[in-house]
Amino acid sequence: MPETDLPQGLDGFEALLHAKANELVSVLAVGDVNSALDIVNDLQNVKHLAFYNEVGYLTRGLHEAIKSFSGDVPSDAREDSIQGMTDASDRLAYVMELTEKTSHETMDRVDKSLALVDKMDVQSGRFADLLSLVGQLESEFEGLRGVYDRTCQLKQESESTVAKLREELTGILVAQSYQDITGQLIRRVITLVTQVEGSLVQLMNMAAKVESISGLHVEGPTENKKQNAKKDPIEAEGPQLAGENNPEVVGNQDDVDDLLSSLGF
Amino acid sequence: MKKDIKILVVDDFSTMRRIIKNLLRDLGFNNVIEADDGKTALPILQQGGVQFLVTDWNMPGMTGIDLVRFVRADPKLASIPILMVTAEAKREQIIAAAQAGVNGYVIKPFTAAVLKEKIDKIFERIGS
Repeated sequence: MPETDLPQGLDGFEALLHAKANELVSVLAVGDVNSALDIVNDLQNVKHLAFYNEVGYLTRGLHEAIKSFSGDVPSDAREDSIQGMTDASDRLAYVMELTEKTSHETMDRVDKSLALVDKMDVQSGRFADLLSLVGQLESEFEGLRGVYDRTCQLKQESESTVAKLREELTGILVAQSYQDITGQLIRRVITLVTQVEGSLVQLMNMAAKVESISGLHVEGPTENKKQNAKKDPIEAEGPQLAGENNPEVVGNQDDVDDLLSSLGF
Repeated sequence: MKKDIKILVVDDFSTMRRIIKNLLRDLGFNNVIEADDGKTALPILQQGGVQFLVTDWNMPGMTGIDLVRFVRADPKLASIPILMVTAEAKREQIIAAAQAGVNGYVIKPFTAAVLKEKIDKIFERIGS
């Protein structure tokens, strides 16, 4: 069947199927078996072509969608450093770079703040020396009565505030681990995007070939099948989502400790 | 516990290396060196002197689990205590790490208290 006869889309295929079916019934009614077999062959061909046409259509659509995703940032709105970032992988890599830089900036400030806290501790020591002097003077001056005790109490309160501040600053520091966690997840997505891109190019090449050839047997992506079969059960996967759908993943540190103690740790 | 021991922190994320290094400093450990994956950690370990190893699992080049296996297989390094700090949280992985010979396993994200507790525990066991 020439390619020009090929109906566009699955609706066209259905219409053609109806027409050919009627034709088949009418030739069989007059006993023309040869024509009937020709019609069956035509239907077979048209089925393949419709399928390949649809694959080609979807592939081109997907390619266009990806191209438009890459170009959806208006050029006049871009910073210098964003210009030229035309694909998703680059953008995700940029997110990792940016979060890493910002995390370090935050930690720089935490380090500076912790140094200030250390300084406050030293000042508190010097304050203690002065206080003991007040304590000695208190007995000599009536007006100073009770000042030593009250100041000591204030000093203790201040020291406990400084200790809490140190704890909070350490909390801010540890919270920067989000950059590692999100970075690992983003890296996996970058790998996926790169693989999809590669497969898409292959699919486009295949679609271009099958559009003009009918009856071709298309092999599945054997490389992926091989990869799945060889998957190592303990291969590093990065952060995983625990939950009912993922019973193999532990929920928290307590679960890790329980599991390890069951192993004699 | 001696505070001047040399500690090697292995993680491909510089943020995580810095966090662990700062928490170790809080615990009084100031002799901390870094490597960004198993491959760069190996020559540092082979030079000798490292007395405690803190490693991530998922790293390009050479993973943490391979590094643990390598250390445990080398008679000169086999006795170094190892703490694994990782986002890998599957039971199968934790069991595999235990079998490979880690002395402790902390999942990310962790708190300062958890990391301190695990490090203390490792040194307690070594001391006893």
